[in-house]
Amino acid sequence: MSVAGGGGGESAVDPKMTAGIGIVGGLIGIYLTPINPVLGPLLAALGAVCAIVWGADAIARVASYGLGTGVPSIGYMSLAVGVIGTLAGLAGGIMMGSAYTMLAPLLGVVLAVILGGVIAIIAKKIVGMKIPVLVTGTMELTGAAAISVLGFSAAIAGSYAMAPILKSVVATGFIGLLFILNTMAIQHPFNACLGPQEDRTRTLKLAASTGFMAMAIVGLLGMGSSKAWWVISIIGALAWFISMRMFLQASKEDAASVAWSGMWPKEEEH
Amino acid sequence: MDPLLMIGAVTAAGVLIGGGVHFIPVGGAPAAIATATGVGTGTAMLAAGSGMTGLITAAAMTGQPLWLILASGAVGSMLMIGVTMLVGNWVYVWGVGTVPVSAKVDTDPITKYPQEKYVTPGTEGHGIPTVCYVSGIIGGLLGGIGGGLAYWAVYESLVTLPAYAPLVSGQTSVAAAMVAGMFALGLFFVNAVIASYNIGGTIEGFHDPKFKRIPKGVLACLLASIVTGLIGVLLLKGGVF
Repeated sequence: MSVAGGGGGESAVDPKMTAGIGIVGGLIGIYLTPINPVLGPLLAALGAVCAIVWGADAIARVASYGLGTGVPSIGYMSLAVGVIGTLAGLAGGIMMGSAYTMLAPLLGVVLAVILGGVIAIIAKKIVGMKIPVLVTGTMELTGAAAISVLGFSAAIAGSYAMAPILKSVVATGFIGLLFILNTMAIQHPFNACLGPQEDRTRTLKLAASTGFMAMAIVGLLGMGSSKAWWVISIIGALAWFISMRMFLQASKEDAASVAWSGMWPKEEEH
Repeated sequence: MDPLLMIGAVTAAGVLIGGGVHFIPVGGAPAAIATATGVGTGTAMLAAGSGMTGLITAAAMTGQPLWLILASGAVGSMLMIGVTMLVGNWVYVWGVGTVPVSAKVDTDPITKYPQEKYVTPGTEGHGIPTVCYVSGIIGGLLGGIGGGLAYWAVYESLVTLPAYAPLVSGQTSVAAAMVAGMFALGLFFVNAVIASYNIGGTIEGFHDPKFKRIPKGVLACLLASIVTGLIGVLLLKGGVF
């Protein structure tokens, strides 16, 4: 369990596992976008959900130390960095020549991670934040944010190249929606579950449900540009229903343990 | 536009935004239950509200001279933060039933009204007194100018590139406006959150003792904005497809 403000603590979920799911699942999903006009965007959207789960775990590890500014602030910042990194990376990929378009999404993620790291170092060295995992946590968080924006953009546009994304995600204004949608999906789970008896497995179940809810909406956004929009939307909605049910059941089980055996003992009584 | 000029404009914008946040009465969770002075929410929410309004009003002036874009952004941000503080005050005065008062000063530096007598024991003030209101408006002014400046710099740089050229010459390029808007919004959030880390979450305004931390906050925002500007140059270099 981890207590907001207390920091550290044992997590029920291995951080390496969520990071692996986020990085590998997210990047595979984005890079498989061109394989098929229906299956590709679906995989990209699922990759973005993987990244959201990773981001929710990373934010839980950083914010459990107590930022003093609330959980949402670092969520907004990470998505701001993620969007800047994504746009700059996709545009920068073009500069390297058409043979290297493959590298553009990766460049976006790397740029976001670098910018996140720089901001965290500034926050630590100049502002004087005293959170030990701030640098690694912010880097993970901005990476997850960039992958989630890239995945959903690829799902809407049906491609991870700059020109289609610029046409169907940026010029339409959906990028602004993705900014807030992904912020909410990443920061809400820990913001809602923090406190004593926070169970990371339960938090991540909520993260999966917010991620799939975002995916269902992203499917609708792709109506004009992608053949896969209804598949993404329906699978997102079904998965949202299942993960929300899992979260509700986990919440009820944890509530039952309190209802049947009384409140947990205070720290002094150990 | 010269990329170096863009980095410079983005850096100046970041410093203005980061400095502006120090003026805004951010009350956080204690203010939400009326036990501290300020608007009862975090910096990120206030930055989202006033920053986005400022960017929209600045973007409405796209293609106009620079001073008009900056003034429009500033007015938008000031209006939004002003309305937020005013309506917040209505809730504190008529809803919660507290007097807008600050516990950080004995008398309001602007109206000279005594403060101490009206502070409920055990709290750090309530609502948004005059000095906080004026401070918040100054914060909106600085933030709005900063957001408008970043938007102008990125838009003017992008619109000269073939990929972002407007469909009809002389009109606004929607793609360039959106990219510039997202970049400026991102810059706004990054600097707002760094400034918010610097003030430790809550501040009342320029009369708050925490306001003395502003040099450190401005330095941090300066460095972060330079790096953001450097990454932003890639946006221009890749726009020639």
